[in-house]
Formats: sequence, structure tokens, C-alpha cells
Amino acid sequence: MDIMSAFIRRPATASVLSLIGVLLFYFIFGGVDLEKLGGAASWLNYAARIGIVAIPVGLLMISGEIDISIGAMIPAGAMATAIISGYYGLPIIFGILGALGIGVIVGLINGVLAVRTTVPTLIITLGTLIAMQGIVLAGSVILTGNASVPLSAPDWAKTLFGQLIFGGSHQVVIIWWLAFTLLGWFILHQSRFGNWIFAMGGDKVSARNAGIPVDRFTILLFVLTATSASFVGMCHAILFNSAQVSGGMNDIFNIIASVVVGGVLLSGGFGSVPGIFIGTITFAIVNKGIDFTDIDRNWSSLIIGVMLLAAVLMNNRFRNMALNYVPRKKDKGGSAK
Amino acid sequence: MEDFHMKKLSRIAASVSVAAIAACVSTAVMAANIFVVGGKPDDPFWSRVKMGAEDAGKVAEAQGGSVTWLGPQNYDNLGPDAAELIRQAIDQGADAIVGPDWVPEAMDPAFKAVVDAGIPLVIYNAGGIEAADKLGALNYVGAVDYKSGFAGGEYLGKAGHQNGACVNTLPGAANIEAFCSGFNDGLESTGGKGSVLQLPATAYGNATAVAQAVRAHLLQNPDIDAMFAIGGGDTNATVSGIAQAGKSGQVFVCGMNFDDSILDNIQQGTQACAVDQQGYQQGFFAVSILNNYVNYGVTIPTREILTGPGVVDSSNVELVIEGVKAGAR
Repeated sequence: MDIMSAFIRRPATASVLSLIGVLLFYFIFGGVDLEKLGGAASWLNYAARIGIVAIPVGLLMISGEIDISIGAMIPAGAMATAIISGYYGLPIIFGILGALGIGVIVGLINGVLAVRTTVPTLIITLGTLIAMQGIVLAGSVILTGNASVPLSAPDWAKTLFGQLIFGGSHQVVIIWWLAFTLLGWFILHQSRFGNWIFAMGGDKVSARNAGIPVDRFTILLFVLTATSASFVGMCHAILFNSAQVSGGMNDIFNIIASVVVGGVLLSGGFGSVPGIFIGTITFAIVNKGIDFTDIDRNWSSLIIGVMLLAAVLMNNRFRNMALNYVPRKKDKGGSAK
Repeated sequence: MEDFHMKKLSRIAASVSVAAIAACVSTAVMAANIFVVGGKPDDPFWSRVKMGAEDAGKVAEAQGGSVTWLGPQNYDNLGPDAAELIRQAIDQGADAIVGPDWVPEAMDPAFKAVVDAGIPLVIYNAGGIEAADKLGALNYVGAVDYKSGFAGGEYLGKAGHQNGACVNTLPGAANIEAFCSGFNDGLESTGGKGSVLQLPATAYGNATAVAQAVRAHLLQNPDIDAMFAIGGGDTNATVSGIAQAGKSGQVFVCGMNFDDSILDNIQQGTQACAVDQQGYQQGFFAVSILNNYVNYGVTIPTREILTGPGVVDSSNVELVIEGVKAGAR
């Protein structure tokens, strides 16, 4: 009974259950060979691509803000690396620093605008999203005359950022994703910064009155989201030996959907890193698992949409159960964490 | 606590995978499971390729095999997404793989992994026989841009319209340049001569801009009697520009690709011909070649299987309209 109550109260529980639900659905209705699916790289690679960004975006959303400029930052990171080290032929380290630098700059702009103005961050980052799309396209065409730039990275950079591991199709970014997740888990659940983030998402004014450096921390979180996105773009450019201009609109929705499937409240103040991690896996399996079924591909968007909705609804229901769960003995103030 | 749900998860996974293995063993027959990497299923062109692949797949299925279509959900990240799909096909135990070489830098390492794994590979739609040779693929199935333009020029030249202009709305794009040089060479092969009407790239997809430019060009060059357009929208705009110049019935147009309004124009005689790369054939032949190769070791010594250009004119337009209704054209 104690185990059950502890299980239900964990923020990650709902995402574990929705993951199981998704797997069962594919197994029963799609005839998926789960062993093949488990061994396949496609969903893990995809989960790593969105997961590296989903962790900081999740932290930012728990703190009550949102960043959609990440969609433009993934191609921006890729193009920065390819233009600097591919087109101009500078050493790859400059390409890497350029990609991360663009992330830091855009993150700073987002963060400073967020704390200096009262404009909702959805609108601020919508502005930087579109502006960055323009800068990336125009910049690429002006500098290289092309919207697609080849790149050949030296071995050490490939080993670190863009290699296939386990002798198959798994990408090295999976390891980076695990590292980002561990770091995010430590920040949110093991350090005092985690409590700050939850407090900021609960009520900014009280958080500031309690002495939390809300402004500086908000800016830092925006720098983290933008930089992690440009990091993913940089890894992709190195792995795929090229980068192309793209809108990245789908990445925005995929990343935010993963975070929400992982049990983070859009309004902030509630969520967990294990939840985001499992939510990302769930989203990746929903998205890529369809290829392992014998369902006609023409139906794939419908199935993905319905399954996401089901996963989020299930989450909601369990979150309510978790928040309203009253232990046997006595309610000790009902702290949500 | 952590142990608790891990245990639960692995128990479910274990019982589920036992069932999956049982299901597999019962249907284990030597047959070709063919994976086809292509465009989005809701892309009009690729839905025809998919239909061709699936129609050829009916034979594969009758022999116990299967055809699986793998397409990206969007074209935002085309090269890497397609490379991922190729690797996914390997992971899913493909007996044969079909794929287009859209972005060689991103996709070639994945194609090489297919060949290294000993899986028969056919390149289709993009890349040409050069890509198939470089990657060690069995064959290339697709159209060649230059030959598509050539077919248009030859068609109009043979019909006696020998002073041509190719409307280029995407200057600098290699495939468009190939359409236009093919068109001009096709005209010259019949004794005619061709030129190129270069428009700024902003005109692409802008019907008004293209129509006005065509009208002005025809008024300045009254002896032009043949034109070529590089896409469906541009073709309609060119026809409209000819009408605005008062030259309907004197200037004859061929264009790449077709839609309902173009077929209508061909039926009514306002457009001479449409050149098609025939996507249905690309899917159909690629799957069929691989199925026969895997099952019976049959090879096709003809290298570079051309699916286009297919010319649609008044003589076959009725049949094409039937094909459109069936989803094959």
C-alpha cells in the first residue's frame, strides 16, 4: 500500500503509464515486434535529438516561461557550424564555438526581454524564432549563395558529437542526452536551484521576496534552452556532413509535446526530469513506432495525434490523483513534491 | 520504488516479446521484405510513387514478402531524416531497400551501410546512375531532367514549332538549367533554335509575374512559336501570358508535370503537351526489380531504368485522366 501510494504520487508515474499504454497499443493494434523496436536506433536517435532540448525547456516551463525560438536555433546551430567550418574551412572548434555562441546570444536576448518587459515569453520567443529563421536563410544565401552547406569534420569532432556507436545506427548524441538528463535531474531535484525553479513557477513575486534571484535565473534558463538547441544542430551537422536552412517548426511542437507528455504543466510549477525523460521516449516511440507497425502510413498522423492526446489526458488524470491523494494517517500539509 | 516499476515494465516487456516471437515464427517463410524510403505520403507526387510501390508489392505479398513505406513527416530536415529512415530499414531487417539520393552528403554514408550489410539496394527518383554506381546499388530507376526538357523540345520541333523559349523562374538551380538546356537541344535536333527567358527567382510560383513576363517577351519577339515551362504552376501562367499577348493558337506550350487544369488545357488544345517523370513507374519498377532479385536472383542488365519523360498530349490525355482518377498519375 505504501509502495502504491508513493508510486502514484511521483510526478513521473503518469508518464510511465502512458509509455506502457503506447507500447500496448502498438503491440495489439499494429502487430509491432517489440524486440525489434527495442533494438532499433530510430526512436532513440530521435528521442536524443528532441530530448537534449526538452530537458532545459522543461526546466524553463516549470519556472513558468516558454521558449519557442528553439525551433530556429537547431538549424541555426547546424548552419553556423557548416558555414564557419565547412564553407570557410576554419578549424571545427570555431564552428562549434560559433554554434554555441549563437545560442548564448539568442538566449540572452530572450532572457533579457523576458525580465525587462511584461510581454509574455511566448510572444517574445515567437519574435526571435521568426527573426532567426530570417537571419539563417538570408545569412546563408549571402555568405555561401546556397541554402545547403556541406561540411567534413575531423575525426575527434565526429567521435565526440557525430558518430554512430554500438557498431550500428545509434548516434553518439544519445550519450549527450543521458548526460543532459542527469545534469537536469541534479539541478531540479538535488540542488537548491530546483526549489528556486519550482518557486518561480508557483509565484514569481513571492519567489523574489524570498530572495531568489528570479531575473538572473530566468535569463540563465533561456540561455540554456537556446544553447542546447544550437548544440543539437551542431551535432547533426557534424554527423550528417551537411546543414540546410529549415524552419524547424515541427521541432518546437515535438519538444514541447514531449515535455507536456512528461507531466510538466504548461502553466508552470509542476513537473520532473524523470517525467520529461520518459515523456520524450513516449513521444519518440509514438512518432517512430508507427514505422514498425503494419498500419498504412496514410493513417500515421491521425494515430500519432490521438495517441498523444490520450497520453496527455492520462497524465492529467494521474496528476490530479497524485495531488489529491490523501495518505492513510494524516495529511501533512500536502506538499506536491 | 524505482525497482518496483522497472520490474513491472520488464515483466510486461518480457511477456509481450514472447508473444511477438511466437507470432513471427508462425509466419517465417523466405520472402522479400522490401523497404521503400520516399517522400511524405500526403505529397501528391509521392502518393503516386507509393501506389506504384504498393502495387508491385502485391506480387511480393503473394510470395510471402512485404513492402513497407518509410517517409519523413515533413521536409524540414530532409537529408538527415531520410538517412535515418534508411538506417531504420536496416534495423528492421530489410531484405532489400529502395531510396532516393536527395542529399548525398547526409545520405551516402547510410546507403553505404546498406551495401556493406549485403542488402540489395536500388536508388530511385534522384541521383541518377552515377549515384547508383558510386554507392554500389543494383540500379537507378527514375527520370533525367535533361531528357525531360529534350522530349518537350523534340515534341514541339517535330510538330513544326521551331523557334522556342524556355521560361526559367529558378535561375541557378541545376535541375532547372538541365530542363532548359534539354529543351533547346531537343528543338535543335529537329532543326529549330531555342533561347532562355530568365526571370528573377521571386517570380517562381507567382502566376501574375510569370504571365506578364511571357506576354512582354512574346510582344518583343514575335517569331517565337514554342515555349517550355518548368512546373505545373508556371505552365498555367505561361498559357495565360500567351492568351494576354493575343497569341493563342500561334504559340505552343509544353511544360513539366501536370494537374487537372493542365489536362483540361491539353484536352481543349491550349497546351500542346506535358512532360511527366511518371512517379508511379519509379515505385513500381524499383520494388519489382528487388523482389525478383531477392526471390529468384533475376537481374536487370539494363542499367539506368528511365521512367520518364512520358509525354502527355491530345492523343493520350483521356487515358491519363483515367490514371489520375485511380491515383496512379
